[in-house]
Amino acid sequence: MNVYVRLVYRNLRANLDKLSLFFELFFPLFFVFVQGSGLGGIIPPLDIGNGRVVPYQLFLAAGAVTLTVINAGTNAGTQLWFDRKNGMFEQILMGPFTRAQYILSIILATLIIGIGGSLLVFLLAFPVLGTGLLITFQGQLLIALALFLGTLFFGGLAIALSVALKSSETFQVVSTFVFFVFLFTSTVFYPAGNAPPVLQAVSYLNPLTYATDIFRAGIFDAFTSLIPLEVGILALEGAAVFTTAVVAFRRIRV
Amino acid sequence: MGDTLASQSIIEVDKLSKRFGDKAAVDEVSFEMRRGEVFGFLGPNGAGKTTTIKMLTTLLPPTSGSARVVGRDLRTEGKKIRERIGVVQQQDSFDQGLNVETSMDIYGLIWDVPKRDRRRRIDEVVKRFGMKDFLKMPTIDLSSGQRRRLQVAREFLHDMDLLFLDEPTVGLDPLVRRGILDYFKEKVKEGLSIFFTTHILEEAEYLCDRIAVINQGKIVQVDTPENLKRRFGRAKAVEFKLLEGTSRELFERLSSSDEVSKLIQDEVGGTYRVTTSRPEIVIPEIYKLAEKYGLSVSSIYIAETTLEDAFINLVTVDDVRRPDSS
Ligand SMILES: Nc1ncnc2c1ncn2[C@@H]1O[C@H](COP(=O)(O)OP(=O)(O)O)[C@@H](O)[C@H]1O
Ligand SMILES: [Mg+2]
Repeated sequence: MNVYVRLVYRNLRANLDKLSLFFELFFPLFFVFVQGSGLGGIIPPLDIGNGRVVPYQLFLAAGAVTLTVINAGTNAGTQLWFDRKNGMFEQILMGPFTRAQYILSIILATLIIGIGGSLLVFLLAFPVLGTGLLITFQGQLLIALALFLGTLFFGGLAIALSVALKSSETFQVVSTFVFFVFLFTSTVFYPAGNAPPVLQAVSYLNPLTYATDIFRAGIFDAFTSLIPLEVGILALEGAAVFTTAVVAFRRIRV
Repeated sequence: MGDTLASQSIIEVDKLSKRFGDKAAVDEVSFEMRRGEVFGFLGPNGAGKTTTIKMLTTLLPPTSGSARVVGRDLRTEGKKIRERIGVVQQQDSFDQGLNVETSMDIYGLIWDVPKRDRRRRIDEVVKRFGMKDFLKMPTIDLSSGQRRRLQVAREFLHDMDLLFLDEPTVGLDPLVRRGILDYFKEKVKEGLSIFFTTHILEEAEYLCDRIAVINQGKIVQVDTPENLKRRFGRAKAVEFKLLEGTSRELFERLSSSDEVSKLIQDEVGGTYRVTTSRPEIVIPEIYKLAEKYGLSVSSIYIAETTLEDAFINLVTVDDVRRPDSS
């Protein structure tokens, strides 16, 4: 069996905390069904570009799908954390693997959780989302890019954090804090265009904004001239964080 | 000639060192371990045993020196080495979120062991390591002894030529410990080579063909357990009993004798234990003193040297020498 298949299978079986996985699915669905329908009554439909106007509940449901990539990323960091805490990191590095194979297996597992989780939320949210979907071929590409690059960014970030932060408590606290900052300054809950200038500026530094915008453009066929730029920025941010993570990982002392 | 030697040795270490800051954890260590051998590293805490293992298993790059492990160069053929070795680390190591059985199975899987072989080998180690009771228990809930057994057992799921064991029996009760040591011995008969570290002397004596005594990052001596005992276990113990039980005068006179390095009396049985390197002088002296104080010796014998004596001699002699040499 291929070495990556073996390691990824192990990461998924051994390192996934089922409770937090459940929370990761439950949390976005809460936005889709509770928050979205509650606020839908008082928020008018939003123009998301390309002449597409969608009800708030749909707008939020799309955001709820992309916020799973943050959760998945945090999970990647946690995988590495568990392995270091439980002495499996050293054990695997003394096994028939290279460091690169090991870290790549963590990233692959993360992509599976991130993309798989998003698609699952997407399916579960279908009763809401299904009413406004308009997915072209180009849209499918955008959806794939948004989920892939988003997971890569947040996975890389969490791996870098988990290398930098020594104690597991610090890692938990910092990653939860980072999670909320990214979440609430993104376009998951509101369009950046209507926000105060400061928030707008922050929002446009935030990779979750890009992942969400690209994803929305993908599922609602709301392609604008801004989208290629957003894909480019997200790809750059993803590559930068990924590189940082790999460098940090290589420096881990045993 | 060189070739034959190389193929017979499974580890060859030449002046291997590891420094942390300006402290040498392992200091120009050289030794050679033969194929099929159980080679022991015996030394007190902080001697450099774990650091040596971490280097030989490619986890930690050496500061200087070189080594060949399973015939491969440590610096350039790391992965080839790792494919042929097993390692039981001193620190705990387990997959959380799995039960004991599954975690063993997945450990075998990442080593690419076919399903059927995993099944068979799991059955074997479960039986031999007495793991039936906690086979279905989550690894998180195991006691440290159970976790240790799992950690040792799973290493036997995959093929290997050389097994590194870093104090593998810590925290195990004597019965389990003996069972595991016997299992190691069996595997050695089947062709496995074992590099074994411990600070427990009886273990080293029981298991090892040769022992390297290591202290403060340096190998003090390499030899068979028997030779170590013969050459360095000079201190002997003479044990005797008095019919009268206790005699303060005899105790005081004997303690002050030049040939007696230590004298204690067992509080329960009343047995006197004399540590000396010259029993042939001390024994007549005991009889002389007994006669002088009107006592009678009811039993006397020379106790066998333990490896512990040898070990303490080596390590403490080395410590004492240090200030002199500067
Ligand atoms: N990562 C490290 N950083 C600094 N010092 C270390 C490190 N690892 C081990 N040491 C030091 O090296 C010495 C040898 O340690 P070790 O190899 O663990 O000894 P042993 O296994 O024989 O008890 C000790 O003094 C220890 O404190
Ligand atoms: Mg140690």
